[in-house]
Amino acid sequence: MYFVADVKENECAKYNCKQCVLFCPEPNCLNFKSGTNSAWVWYDRCKGCEICVYVCSDLLKRHCIEMVMVTPKATAKS
Amino acid sequence: MGLEYVRISPGFEKYMPRDYVDLVKYGPFGKQLDVMQMGQFKELVEEHPMCAGCYMAYFIRVFYAALPNPEDTIVLGTAGCARLALSQAAVPFVYGNYGDTNAVASGLKRALSIRFPDKVKDVVVIAGDGGLIDIGFGMTMHSWFRREKFTTIMVDNEVYGNTGGQESGMSPKGLQLKMAPLGKKFDKINAVELAKTAGCVYVARISPTNPKRIAKTIRRAILAARHFGPTFIHAYTSCNIEYSIPTREVLADARKREKQDFKFYEWMTDEVKEFFEELERKEKQEVKK
Ligand SMILES: Cc1ncc(C[n+]2csc(CCOP(=O)(O)OP(=O)(O)O)c2C)c(N)n1
Ligand code: SF4
Ligand code: SF4
Ligand code: SF4
Ligand SMILES: [Mg+2]
Repeated sequence: MYFVADVKENECAKYNCKQCVLFCPEPNCLNFKSGTNSAWVWYDRCKGCEICVYVCSDLLKRHCIEMVMVTPKATAKS
Repeated sequence: MGLEYVRISPGFEKYMPRDYVDLVKYGPFGKQLDVMQMGQFKELVEEHPMCAGCYMAYFIRVFYAALPNPEDTIVLGTAGCARLALSQAAVPFVYGNYGDTNAVASGLKRALSIRFPDKVKDVVVIAGDGGLIDIGFGMTMHSWFRREKFTTIMVDNEVYGNTGGQESGMSPKGLQLKMAPLGKKFDKINAVELAKTAGCVYVARISPTNPKRIAKTIRRAILAARHFGPTFIHAYTSCNIEYSIPTREVLADARKREKQDFKFYEWMTDEVKEFFEELERKEKQEVKK
């Protein structure tokens, strides 16, 4: 089990924002879907640093990212 | 950009490595992407083993998105944390011995201009504060004295991060670190002023708080090095491990340090300034067309 960021995509889509995506230290990890206009996390690559949560919640007060525990099995599908 | 040799000949897609195909189809190979599009294209670093929340890793991520010509760039690194990500990129990487980076880069840049007289090959050194300003100090300085045409980027985490927390010339005065328990007795070295005095034609100091500005600084440093002489970027890239910064506060720390002692600073010779004014005027005209 490990800790990863998870974007509440329906919430995020309201903002047309993309800010967190620009501050994640991991490449190809916190991405943006222009189709649905929301950020999404490739769980296998997330190291759980919460910098995206700082951006979304602390700086922007949008609270669209939560940290969740996942098992490797659950991440295999991403 | 737009070099033909990165394109895959029709019919060969299925025999090429998946990564390569993705870099041509969805990544920066053969086209110029904007750093603000990060998260929507395949990046040059696939993934890396640097610590969670490492802002040196973040800076390197932006660095690769900002390269003006990744197909014709050679990156030089050395012992220290940065090479852990630099060695994972789809851009040629040379591992210089610790302290030797700027000597190796000098020879490499000269050899490339003899071997490829009709092409621009960008050479960029990215190394730590220990690598460039302590142990590699002599070679760094002499590459600048000789006006070698490549870019040096110091990713300054103010410590020897990779070896567990010794103080460097760039650690702040008075600071105690895990392997420097008495506290540092001397001031942080003023690397930017040294670079100016030693002959760099473009010098910048930056904290990683604004990807657009990081990208612009990197592009300018590389373009100025192509035409005029040595260029230097001093980037604050915190080590959350050795400085015990909770990872969630890493960006907050970068913002704080930007206000304190890493305020954005950019200096260039008049010649370089004219070059960018001209270039930016041309780019604006292109956009209007
Ligand atoms: C000639 C030589 N001396 C010492 C070392 C051991 N060594 C490896 S990394 C390192 C310090 C790295 O500090 P810095 O350059 O600031 O990079 P950081 O890890 O902090 O990013 C040292 C001393 C080495 N590899 N080679
Ligand atoms: S910062 Fe928040 S609202 Fe903005 S893109 Fe990220 S998750 Fe969405
Ligand atoms: S927790 Fe860290 S690694 Fe994971 S998506 Fe957020 S910023 Fe990226
Ligand atoms: S030790 Fe420090 S500088 Fe090195 S990868 Fe970890 S956080 Fe980054
Ligand atoms: Mg260091």
